[in-house]
Amino acid sequence: MEAKCITPNDFAGKTINEIAKLPIWEGNKERTLGELFKIEGETNVAPEEFSIQIFGDLSRVRGVGSKMSVGKIIVEGNAGMHLGEGMKGGAILVKGDVDSWAGSMMEAGTIEIMRNVGDYVGAPYRGSTMGMKGGTIVVHGNAGYEVGCFMRGGLIKIHGNVGQFVGVHMRDGTILVEGDSEGRAGAGMLEGKIILCGYVPSILPTFTIESLRPNVKVNEERVAGPFYRFVGDLADGGDGKLFVLQVKNPHLNFYEKYL
Amino acid sequence: MKNNVITSVKNACAVGESKFLNYASHRCLKPLIRKNGELVEASLDEAIQKSAEILAGASYPILYGWSCTSCEAIRVGLELAEEIGGVIDNTSTICHGPSVLSIQDVGIASCTLGQLRHRADLIIYWGSNPWSAHPRHIDRYTAFSKGRFQPSAWRGYLSRLSATLTKKRLLRAASLVLRRKVSVPPEVDQSPSYALARKERRMIVVDVRRTRSAELADYFLRVEPNKDYELLQALRMLIRDEELDVDEVAGVPVAVLEEIADIMIGCELGVIFFGVGLTMSQGKLRNVDAALSLVRDLNQRTKFLIMPMRGHFNVTGADMVFTWQTGFPYAVDFSHGYPRYNPGETSLIDILCRGEADAGLVVASDPVAHFPREAVQNLVNNPLIVIDPHVSATSLMADVVIPSAFVGIETEGTAYRMDHVPLPLKKVVEPPDGCLPDTVILQRILRQVRKLRRREGEGN
Amino acid sequence: MDLYVKDGKIVEKVNERKAKVIDASGMIVMPGGVDIHSHIAGSAVNFGRLLRPEDHFKDVEAKTPLTRSGVGYSVPSTFTTGYRYARMGYTTVMNPAMAPLEARHTHEELDDTPMLDKATYPLLGDWWFVLEYLRDGMIEECARHVAWMINATKGYAIKLVNPGGLEAWGSGRNVRNIDDPVPHFNITPREIIRCLCKVNQILHMPHTIHVHTNNLGKPGNYLTALETMKCVENLSKGDRPIIHITHCQFSAFKGSDWRTMESGAEEIAKYVNGHSHVTLDMGQVVFTDTTTMTADGPFQYILHQLSGNKWVNHDVETETSSGIVPFRYRRKSYVHATQWSIGLELALLIEDPWKIFLTTDHPNAAPFTTYPKIISWLMSRNARKKAMEKISRRARRKSLLPSIEREYSFYEIAIATRAGTAKCLGLRQKGHLGVGADADIAIYNLNPKEVDPSKKYMAVRRAFGKSAYTIKDGEIVAKDGEIVKSVNGRTFWVDVKLSSASEEVASDMKRRFREYWTVEYENYPVPEGYLTRSAPLSVKAEV
Repeated sequence: MEAKCITPNDFAGKTINEIAKLPIWEGNKERTLGELFKIEGETNVAPEEFSIQIFGDLSRVRGVGSKMSVGKIIVEGNAGMHLGEGMKGGAILVKGDVDSWAGSMMEAGTIEIMRNVGDYVGAPYRGSTMGMKGGTIVVHGNAGYEVGCFMRGGLIKIHGNVGQFVGVHMRDGTILVEGDSEGRAGAGMLEGKIILCGYVPSILPTFTIESLRPNVKVNEERVAGPFYRFVGDLADGGDGKLFVLQVKNPHLNFYEKYL
Repeated sequence: MKNNVITSVKNACAVGESKFLNYASHRCLKPLIRKNGELVEASLDEAIQKSAEILAGASYPILYGWSCTSCEAIRVGLELAEEIGGVIDNTSTICHGPSVLSIQDVGIASCTLGQLRHRADLIIYWGSNPWSAHPRHIDRYTAFSKGRFQPSAWRGYLSRLSATLTKKRLLRAASLVLRRKVSVPPEVDQSPSYALARKERRMIVVDVRRTRSAELADYFLRVEPNKDYELLQALRMLIRDEELDVDEVAGVPVAVLEEIADIMIGCELGVIFFGVGLTMSQGKLRNVDAALSLVRDLNQRTKFLIMPMRGHFNVTGADMVFTWQTGFPYAVDFSHGYPRYNPGETSLIDILCRGEADAGLVVASDPVAHFPREAVQNLVNNPLIVIDPHVSATSLMADVVIPSAFVGIETEGTAYRMDHVPLPLKKVVEPPDGCLPDTVILQRILRQVRKLRRREGEGN
Repeated sequence: MDLYVKDGKIVEKVNERKAKVIDASGMIVMPGGVDIHSHIAGSAVNFGRLLRPEDHFKDVEAKTPLTRSGVGYSVPSTFTTGYRYARMGYTTVMNPAMAPLEARHTHEELDDTPMLDKATYPLLGDWWFVLEYLRDGMIEECARHVAWMINATKGYAIKLVNPGGLEAWGSGRNVRNIDDPVPHFNITPREIIRCLCKVNQILHMPHTIHVHTNNLGKPGNYLTALETMKCVENLSKGDRPIIHITHCQFSAFKGSDWRTMESGAEEIAKYVNGHSHVTLDMGQVVFTDTTTMTADGPFQYILHQLSGNKWVNHDVETETSSGIVPFRYRRKSYVHATQWSIGLELALLIEDPWKIFLTTDHPNAAPFTTYPKIISWLMSRNARKKAMEKISRRARRKSLLPSIEREYSFYEIAIATRAGTAKCLGLRQKGHLGVGADADIAIYNLNPKEVDPSKKYMAVRRAFGKSAYTIKDGEIVAKDGEIVKSVNGRTFWVDVKLSSASEEVASDMKRRFREYWTVEYENYPVPEGYLTRSAPLSVKAEV
């Protein structure tokens, strides 16, 4: 199902009946929001104050919060693909799991996911190099592959583990991973910062170690190290920074001889 | 041919010969419909009607296969998918889909096969074993072929082979004379000579194990499984004349990599052929990304090209027809009335594993035999129509089976070679009675679907 | 003045009681548009589509009961291409580049492009047979083989792209000017151009040779363009054109590098004004994100290096090459803004509208859907002035446009977009509304008596963007920008009949085929039945 109309922008200023008539897709059938959801509440609210709370398992509902620029959405359950696609502002909070392409092509705003998220967080559309431009995505659980693919700005914070290719083709921005990663971090990156605070099986051969840092700055905070600081991806002439926590990665201490 | 039966085949490779000689076995000859759990014979009209009913009423039907039929049939298939608002996908989705995705990110420097026959003096097979999968590839288009500017490397191979055989013979003779086993230390990756301007073509094979193709090569690199990405990226750095910090990458010593890089830069025209060794090992589309980027970078130093080794018959044709009619090469979703594309979301295996499809049409393919179990379960739990010349695992699980004629043998059509050259396929024998070409069957289903939807529209 | 249509043709009179009447009073009636150069079909175009899903997903067209769905923007899918042209009142489009080995592919795509009559030009400027016969001085044999090729590929005209350069690109090289010999063959681009010009005359082809010059896109290349036009001067017989330089804007750069690059349009216009053997088309740039795709492999590689964008290359054995690179033309870029100015300068400085035609080399300089905008620039000095306000200051200072007062009239626009192109192509039943013409008619909702195109250029843009009526072969196919009937057009090709020795040519090709190509002789030619609506033009060759 696709329900790109579930945004404060689309709801604000409409009556409950009008909201119920908003079009959504179920497979190849056009339906209305009212056919899927029971809708109630106060709609005579300014868009900036507008708050949408959704109860239920929305794992199959795609595009919630698409292109929204104001207000709040709270999903008391799981959410489907393309959550907050092209978001320009406002906030989304999901209490459960979220499928892939969360925050894809995001420009501003915040997304907070209490459990796990799929692949391609903040990624662009196929063929495009314009990934997430700004805003913040926080995931309390684990994330899948290619977090921050082609990222251009903003912050992604993953409290759990990430899959392979975190920060692939990154152009700028910051990714902070508190859990373990599956490797190949920063592949093809040109600029930006990736901080890995957990176990990393290996570093790509096209990254070179630069220094050992006591801590690293993420927006206003300082994350305590010490971190190995790598620069890469040299295969693309990149100058991105990859920070790897020393204490969690004793198998990488052979890099110290190059310092 | 004798009495409308093919008796022998000349000039074909082993795969082609087997196709031409075995097309007549395990045939579906009659339309079948499942009634009370059993597949029973039915008339073609009944089968078409049932198929149309299944497809016209579905909310998220899938149409799969397409790689073993003609472009003409694929065009009708796309029209049908659009009419019923379904998802149409071809075998790229399980094979070179990742290659397509990478091409969409990086681009690709490629050519038709004749360019290589005429000009290539360095041929690299990466994660591909043409000896088994594309048996005539090497002698028609690459190392052993003869081109306008490049002679064949056949002679070099033969002299190497005879040198090895001679060595074996001498060893055997020596052990007979000395009455004990005489052996020579096993040959490790051959070290390249520093000979200048070798006129013959050279071949390099990169794979996780020493395949038959590797036996023919001048150099063989054994790469650690699932580490192709690192190897390719390391080569990219060496091409830029940068140094690597580490001593070995993916099980290959950096010194060897440096020599390979020199060979690549020093050639006149090089080509990399890659197969599922890259697309289906860990990293998938990023492996191909690295290979495409390597070739792109090499073009700053010399002429270099790359080509995926496509496997299924007309999969290239399927990609082409999909692209010109919809803008997208596979995994095309028409459910919103216009083409949408997002592999991972609109690709067939993912749709099936999430249990989203509610009807299926499979044309000239056998997903039940090849797909993951979860996907197969969802495919067969819903109404399933199969159009195929042969009885297959999929047709045995179907609700409607429609026998079709074999494209390229019993019916004509257009197909595309792996390098995108279109070729006409001829009709050589008559199809069995009642087996129509896919184009005809699909057009009839489409007509019925339109009739049903019109009636439904009028009813509303 | 009234027009009468019957059975798909324009006729003297019809039985008015039985006829359907279209009231076009207060509107402009023109022949349907004829686009002389637009990449809409074939392997290069399809690679372009495949390469750019991100160009498609923002511009979609849903299925309707009458039309198929599809996508745009710069490389639309085939159905969408046909519908969008029809909505603008265009009825004939020429696909200007086809690799002969992949001719089947081009024709398959053209067949899936509705609403339009079409044709395609096979790329012959680097074909080994041409290069060899030229080297050996055998022009008649060359002509015979070119005739074979045109018949085999169902082509319409002889296309040359960076002649000699594509063969060099097969080995990673290029040619530097028209006297730089092609490696391995030892002949020069000058000789290739002259040879094929002669061949074109020997074969009595309806169109001239269609040439994309060497050194395209390189600062200083206006000299190459002039040399190219000059090199066939003495082959001209009478007043008829014998060479067409396509998308001339890309070949009209002065200067020695990107910093010193400037417009060479004045010099080229001067030459064209003084000679009658040349025709050109603009190749007008519009500031947008588009996709470049040409057979000029080496040029496309340079474009990739300049822009850093993804790059597709496809070399075709024995014949030609191609390259694709997405590209964005920016107002604030000095070079892009100068390019924009060059196209318009060429069209405005060349006095005879029958010598220069409106194209964007779709999609190289812009998608074809921008034609209405370009029409407004040609017709209105104000429109040009407005556009210039936002471009690079340096380009604005150097541009000749502020000093050019000329504004195209509706009549001149009709020549630049239909009458002139049809005549240049030798399509006698297109581009005019005389009796006997195909009833391809476009009616634009614009009253020339009330609307001053110089001032109301937005109205001009709107009108040309959405025809009031588009009529194809006497049937109304589009109305107010909506497709009301889906039709399939014809595919034109030239059926060259040799005076003698046609079997010898065929058996010669057969004998040598395997040395050159990796397909079999029998599989190469495209049979006539392959084209859904084949419309051959018969010509009789002098050999």
